[in-house]
Amino acid sequence: MSEPLITTPLRERAQQALGDRFLHEALDIATTKFIGLRREAFGEFPDGERLRDRARDIKEATLQRLDEHLERLIDNVERRGGHVHFAATADEARDIILDIARRTGARMAVKSKSMATEEIHLNEALAAAGVMPVETDLGEYIIQLAHERPSHIIAPAIHKTKGQVAELFARELKREVAADPEVLTRIARAELREKFLEADLGITGANFAVADTGTVVLVTNEGNGRMVTSLPRVHVAVMGVEKVVPSMTDLMVFLSVLAKSATGQKLSVYTTLIQGPRRPQELEGPDEFHLVLLDNGRIAQIAGTLREALYCLRCGACLNVCPVYRQIGGHAYGYTYPGPIGILLTAMLNGPRSVKELSHASSLCGACADACPVRIDIPRMLIELRKEVDETKLAPWPERVVFKAFAWLIRQPPLYRLGGPLGRLLQRPFVRAGRIGTLPLFFGHWTRTRDLPPVAARTFQERWAALEREQP
Amino acid sequence: MTSSPRVALMITCLADLFYPEVGERIVRLLRRLGVTVTLPRGQTCCGLPLFNSGYHAEAAAVARRTVAVFAEAETVVVPSGSCAWMVKHEYPGLLAGDAEAAAARGLAERTYEFSQYLVRRLGRTAFETDTPARVAYHDSCHLLRGLHESESPRTLLRHLRGIELVDLPGSDECCGFGGSFSVRLPEVSTAILDRKLANVEASGAGCVVACDAGCLMQMKGGLARRGSAVRAVHLAELLDRERGAREAP
Amino acid sequence: MTTRAAFLGRIRDEMAKTRGLFPATTAERPARPRERLEVLRRELIERWPQSLERFRAEFERVGGVFHRARPGDVPALLARICRERDARSVVTWDAAELGIDAGPVLASAGVDVHAMPRAVPSAPERQRLREVIAHADVGVTGVDLAIAETGTLVMRSAAGRPRSTSLLPPCHVALFERGALVETLAQVGIALEAWHDGAAADTEGAVINFITGPSRTADIELTLTRGVHGPKEVHAIFVDHD
Repeated sequence: MSEPLITTPLRERAQQALGDRFLHEALDIATTKFIGLRREAFGEFPDGERLRDRARDIKEATLQRLDEHLERLIDNVERRGGHVHFAATADEARDIILDIARRTGARMAVKSKSMATEEIHLNEALAAAGVMPVETDLGEYIIQLAHERPSHIIAPAIHKTKGQVAELFARELKREVAADPEVLTRIARAELREKFLEADLGITGANFAVADTGTVVLVTNEGNGRMVTSLPRVHVAVMGVEKVVPSMTDLMVFLSVLAKSATGQKLSVYTTLIQGPRRPQELEGPDEFHLVLLDNGRIAQIAGTLREALYCLRCGACLNVCPVYRQIGGHAYGYTYPGPIGILLTAMLNGPRSVKELSHASSLCGACADACPVRIDIPRMLIELRKEVDETKLAPWPERVVFKAFAWLIRQPPLYRLGGPLGRLLQRPFVRAGRIGTLPLFFGHWTRTRDLPPVAARTFQERWAALEREQP
Repeated sequence: MTSSPRVALMITCLADLFYPEVGERIVRLLRRLGVTVTLPRGQTCCGLPLFNSGYHAEAAAVARRTVAVFAEAETVVVPSGSCAWMVKHEYPGLLAGDAEAAAARGLAERTYEFSQYLVRRLGRTAFETDTPARVAYHDSCHLLRGLHESESPRTLLRHLRGIELVDLPGSDECCGFGGSFSVRLPEVSTAILDRKLANVEASGAGCVVACDAGCLMQMKGGLARRGSAVRAVHLAELLDRERGAREAP
Repeated sequence: MTTRAAFLGRIRDEMAKTRGLFPATTAERPARPRERLEVLRRELIERWPQSLERFRAEFERVGGVFHRARPGDVPALLARICRERDARSVVTWDAAELGIDAGPVLASAGVDVHAMPRAVPSAPERQRLREVIAHADVGVTGVDLAIAETGTLVMRSAAGRPRSTSLLPPCHVALFERGALVETLAQVGIALEAWHDGAAADTEGAVINFITGPSRTADIELTLTRGVHGPKEVHAIFVDHD
């Protein structure tokens, strides 16, 4: 169990998000843009479909020999003077990192964007231990100032307007700040440059780790990933075990689809391959390199229903196309990872109880599976999660009763056919001018915003006899 | 001399109860094309709502029954993409270990969504309509992504005399129905619907066409509530007769 | 604290419960990567003009500034770039790594040139050099590869080639020749395999950087801004040895 269970009902959180005009517009603009960029990038990339198939294949093949690849990765990292640590839980991961910080006397840690460190709630723990965490990815920096969590996997501050960002900066720097992205970026650059140069410890995630060579790979656009891994004395990379890739040749397959899926770029501005601490003959680079391998629910899915979710490259493409995410944004999901893949990851990290409602935050439209660079069948796993919620009786009992009653009813054709006459009888008080505008109880959920058609005067099966007698 | 094609209609629970006229049009049209249509008795619902909500044991029981009801059918035609998908895509898996496994696979192969049947099986694509309209096509999710079918409905619309087909922005975006999703998260479902209807409005179409009763219920429901003049119809409602055919006596 | 054995043991236990979802294979690696790279280089050198054209188009597309110059004209070009930016301080890779010595020309243009040393100096000197790099206006490097498909420059760190030369100064200038050009990411994979190949691994430095244009973000309202943390400008000078 990684995160505490959210108690506010999903529907309430969703309604709150829907009522936020700023958020709505920001989400619309951002997701529409990302969708267009991704479409364009793959549109001019004829090899794209084949490479997506290859990427999926490589992820599955890697899982089939995961232990061998991890052994090789560990040996190669250690051969180059790095240290590898093993974290079964979020708690352990935090302890490992705090220990490193303590041992190396770190007082400030600069961080490059890492969902893995969000997942283990590292920042609070660092701060409590007297190590100031500084987020350096501009979006993460913004939400850190706002004391919020990221609302999108790759664009964490997508929900903030430039006016809101200017206010945050003004509060932090105690001076007036123009609501202009250029100005705000320049300010962030100057503020964070100092921190990069001062920091004792650099903490990152890892997009991939190449087993053959012991290389950790960071995919970024701003340059903070490079700063964080070159300037401080110590570099700690936190990585889910599923991120290992066997070879450099495999790596190139992923690099060719990752940025295109995330932002429509052929490659992100910086792809940084880090093989341990600096060599003795290098002028710059950390003296110590630590790789923290993270389980936190992943290993249990190797043979679990969510195995395919381990292929995830964390590109965010599924968020951008999801009709639900596009309406409610990331925070309404309530946990570290939002969007379609986020529901699966939430279940992975926190168990089925955490997705009792979230597993239904989907119309099962399949746009996510379509957009996924490794073709993860997210809808299928959402249905599996729903099944688990039903079978472990987490679903509310009235719902289970209704569904089971329905299942029984539709296997009794004469009773089913009573639906015509019975429906027409029950609906009579509610039908006006051929439409149903309001219904009581549960049915009101539909009729509050949509009309319902009435049960037909004669159902199709009731018309069939006459229809059969007609000549063509 | 080949015998006339025979199809069994799987009317689907939504069309049966709420949109029987769609079923009627399909039957009359197919007959005019020389197809014999039967309605296997005892059919009810394909069980998709059970499957989607995770009640798989119950869905399997329904699948087993449905496979038996359609056992004699040569070809099954379904007016809804989602129900066709359920039969073709999920029935075999649900009944994988069963005595009915082979029958389920067989049924899956013989089942077609309506537009698929017209275009890919019958090869009939040129129709005309008596109700001219400017029309936009909405890709329902299960038909588009589940059955990989975006062409057949468009082929029929492109060749349909009497309509002007316009582009629908975001035609491949969900309408927000999603079965029980529409009442579990009604506000989100409605927000998604609002986006769809805004796109319909932007397209300039007077009529949005779909091949799924669920999508139609959602879109019709939203259009009616806003008092819109735009209609939402099933594709079958626009196919009055083949081009060049005379009216039935 | 979980040990390596316990951690991997847990993974093996779970793996034993399943054969996986479908038969799958990883990518095929070149059997003799260094030979393969040599063969590739010979093939590529035949096609270098096309690769250069493609590189230029992609590089400019991501916001890079492309130049082409004869070796003798490179120092003057660098001086002009400096002048246009009022640059006072330039850091460069060690001259041997860079392939040219622009020191004299730049100095006569009133620009301080700091070539990074090959040998690693004392800690205080390293700190001083860091300050120098941090305050430099322009950083000049060579490259190991220039990828035509994406407009990307690939640089390995090593002695005399500190990473921050291409990172801290707001303007990065990279010099490259036809031999650096490769066409595709897949070909880069061959180079990476070759560089790390077993006992003959050619990895003097710990980092390989792929740089595709200037630093950027769109984190604020999706408005694109450049020069967030890394350089705001990236120049590539193709040194034409004809």
